[in-house]
Amino acid sequence: MKHYDAVVIGAGNAGLTAATALQRGGSRTLLVERHNIPGGCATSFVRGNFEFEVALHQLSGLGTEEKPFVMRRFFEQLGVMDKVEFIQEHALYRLVVPGELDVTLPASWSGIRRLLQSMYPAESEAIERFMLVCEKVTLESFMTLPQASRANSEAMLRSMCPYYLQYGFRPAREVLDEFFADARLKNILATYWLYLGVAPSMLPFADLATMLYAYAVFKPWHIKGGSQAMSSALVESFLEAGGEVRFNCGVEQIHTADGRIRGVSLEGGERIACDAVVSNASPLITFNELLDLERPPAKIRQDFKSRRMGTSAFVIYLGLDCTPGELGVTSASSFIYETLDEEQIHARMGSLEPPLGGMLTCYNLEDPSAAPAGKSQVVLVCLQYGEVWKSVSPDRYAQTKYEFAEKLIAVIEKVYPKVRQYIEEVEVATPLTMMRYLNTPGGAIYGFQQSAQDSALLRERLDAVPGLYMAGAWTTMGGFQPTYMAGESTARAVLKQLKARKSEHV
Amino acid sequence: MSEQNALNLIAGYPEAAAAKLALEQNGSDFQEVRGEVGSTVVQLHPKRLALRVATIIEDTPSTRTLRLVAADGQALPPFQAGQYINLFVEIDGVHTARPYAISSSPVQRMHYDLTVKRARGGFVSHYLLDHVEVGQGFSSSGPMGTFHHNPLFHGDDLVFLAGGSGAAPARSILLNIFDRGLPQRLHMIYLNSHVDDVIFADELRELARRHEHFTLSEVISRPPAGYAGRSGRLNRSMLQELLGEIGNRMFYICGPTSFNDSCISLLGELGVARRRIRVEANGAPKAPDEQHGWPEGVSLDDEVQITVQGRGRFRSKVGEPLLNALERNGYFAENACRSGECSLCRVKLVAGSVFNPQEARLRTSDRDFGWIYSCVAFPTGDIEVLL
Repeated sequence: MKHYDAVVIGAGNAGLTAATALQRGGSRTLLVERHNIPGGCATSFVRGNFEFEVALHQLSGLGTEEKPFVMRRFFEQLGVMDKVEFIQEHALYRLVVPGELDVTLPASWSGIRRLLQSMYPAESEAIERFMLVCEKVTLESFMTLPQASRANSEAMLRSMCPYYLQYGFRPAREVLDEFFADARLKNILATYWLYLGVAPSMLPFADLATMLYAYAVFKPWHIKGGSQAMSSALVESFLEAGGEVRFNCGVEQIHTADGRIRGVSLEGGERIACDAVVSNASPLITFNELLDLERPPAKIRQDFKSRRMGTSAFVIYLGLDCTPGELGVTSASSFIYETLDEEQIHARMGSLEPPLGGMLTCYNLEDPSAAPAGKSQVVLVCLQYGEVWKSVSPDRYAQTKYEFAEKLIAVIEKVYPKVRQYIEEVEVATPLTMMRYLNTPGGAIYGFQQSAQDSALLRERLDAVPGLYMAGAWTTMGGFQPTYMAGESTARAVLKQLKARKSEHV
Repeated sequence: MSEQNALNLIAGYPEAAAAKLALEQNGSDFQEVRGEVGSTVVQLHPKRLALRVATIIEDTPSTRTLRLVAADGQALPPFQAGQYINLFVEIDGVHTARPYAISSSPVQRMHYDLTVKRARGGFVSHYLLDHVEVGQGFSSSGPMGTFHHNPLFHGDDLVFLAGGSGAAPARSILLNIFDRGLPQRLHMIYLNSHVDDVIFADELRELARRHEHFTLSEVISRPPAGYAGRSGRLNRSMLQELLGEIGNRMFYICGPTSFNDSCISLLGELGVARRRIRVEANGAPKAPDEQHGWPEGVSLDDEVQITVQGRGRFRSKVGEPLLNALERNGYFAENACRSGECSLCRVKLVAGSVFNPQEARLRTSDRDFGWIYSCVAFPTGDIEVLL
């Protein structure tokens, strides 16, 4: 039987960074992926002359070359910084409600302040204060809260995290209401909830504040060649360090003996021995289906009981035979909604009724290489829960998919009327597509529902089986930066434990 | 959470903790959805199907249709008319596969018809025509492919240019329109070499008589003496006459590579926008050395050595697609379209170089990091690959 120090299940973002960090950290690692290509969400596919970005809309945490932020050093340490190229987006987003509102927030903290103060002079002072709170909450979340929380110290929380104490954990809607009178202004500032799929009434304020501040200050980015380029670069770095990877190879079972990890069985029957397993699969699949225990440990089951299924997505990938200019696109990311009633939008995410809006990303606006000359790569997204799609019969599936796509296009068309006439390639992904490619219950794209109850501050590590580690959106925040980081930090924990075990054996 | 938890100082934290507890009381450990991802996905996209030959229909002297049913007698997964399955076969100890468009209607799901025409110099087609018997079992991929009507932009005015066995997906698309009562009009321009080798001839003619939304234009390129029908090569004036006003129609092309290429260029000459033309994938190119970028001094007959990292090595020819060479030597790589589109046969080129023809729809990062689609990759020297 082949033996590895660690086996990583799944080559999604967290699986890739975990595997790379493990192998570069001196642990012999096998990475196994069910699909033929690494990335999970962070992938691309080709139709005709277009290569479509599947999931990355805005990469956070990079900062500029002059003012770098954490992710540059992070990628540097994983050996991929010289293998990829980043493209900056110059606006956060355009938010349009046809006939009511049309505003574009620049990717600049002072620029946003100036714009909003000129639009809402009566709330000028509140804008100033709100933005300060966003900044402080963000900085405290990253810099001081982890330390104060680990120390479980009231004194440290009071002195080091005053803004977080006051605002961080309250529903975003409540904080916005406290600061502002104008409903539209609140909508503009809350727009990023549409990325997360958690209505501001359920979303911890810190999650919203962090996104807004971090994207404005550290800028939103694309990756040249798409997020697939990063996934492939991570595999390259992993292989260069001596790692082994198997594609088209699922894991069928995770084996334990005497209560700790012993190995895995691969699709086709081969058995691999290992000391640690890092699962980038969902904890639901990992514990309920892969692990060889009759029932998962009580602690795990208890954690599951307080979780709720997160959102999936409905996506239309469009290859258009026109330029972004001809289409009328002026910022890479647009949110287009018929209403900004958050509860209504959220409720609609669970139904096949026409969506109330969606997001449009045009990848070649800032990066001409993202589409053939004269053409455009445009992606439309509306978040959807998988549940309603599971009830669509296989016979009706294709038709249902196209009908729903028509409805989403109809919303987007109100702002970009030419979007339909130039279609050269189109592919539609439903929550069932996400389920197929991500192997997640409900086709969840961010793991469990990311309400306040899901916060890491209320959770313990799912570490009830020694040697088994979870890495991915299910046990951290969803999205690219958080999952990249989760994999690497999991690898650090594994390396520490492997080292401890080795010294025990000496 | 105990009373000593300092985090209770955080505004909103105690409420969230209480809410979490409430969720825990009425929540589930998700045991009830155990296996649900797998059982949901398999209904639409099974990795493998177990099939059995129920009937063999002799179509023409060169062609027969294998009617395949599920080995367990259940309904097969739904597909979109025009899609294919990749049929795995074992011939003389070699495990390989070929994609075949499903020629039956997607409205009935108890069988898939695969219509197979003898290919000149073929390996698998000969086997399927000469050695397969009723009752024989096969394994295949699930239905796949993008060569199908897409209601989001194809419209209702369709033209299908079929050459020979290219009629297989055309038949499925046509039957789908009739069986579902769709509003689409289809004009099928159907080219064949010989009058006695026209697949589905009687059925298509009958359908054209019965349905005003279906027009059949047959062309025979090698007509017998005295043949009264339309004959000769498909050229611009013939196509112009057959099509009339171009309008905003959607064109589908499926036939031999030379036929496909000629149709694309004729349609271009008639002013059809390239985005209104869909072409079915057609396997690895027969003459990659005629494509742009082929390295000088390399001949298709040159011998090369192929090393499979950690597993072994063998000799092959430059002109044999890498996937075929691997299979002939007992190596397996997952595959489906075998035409450079689906990317399932993606392998890493560790050393040496291959020619990636225009058929290879590689991702930018595949090129950057040395990943190739083995089904259409031609080793232009000794190479080492990682499977």
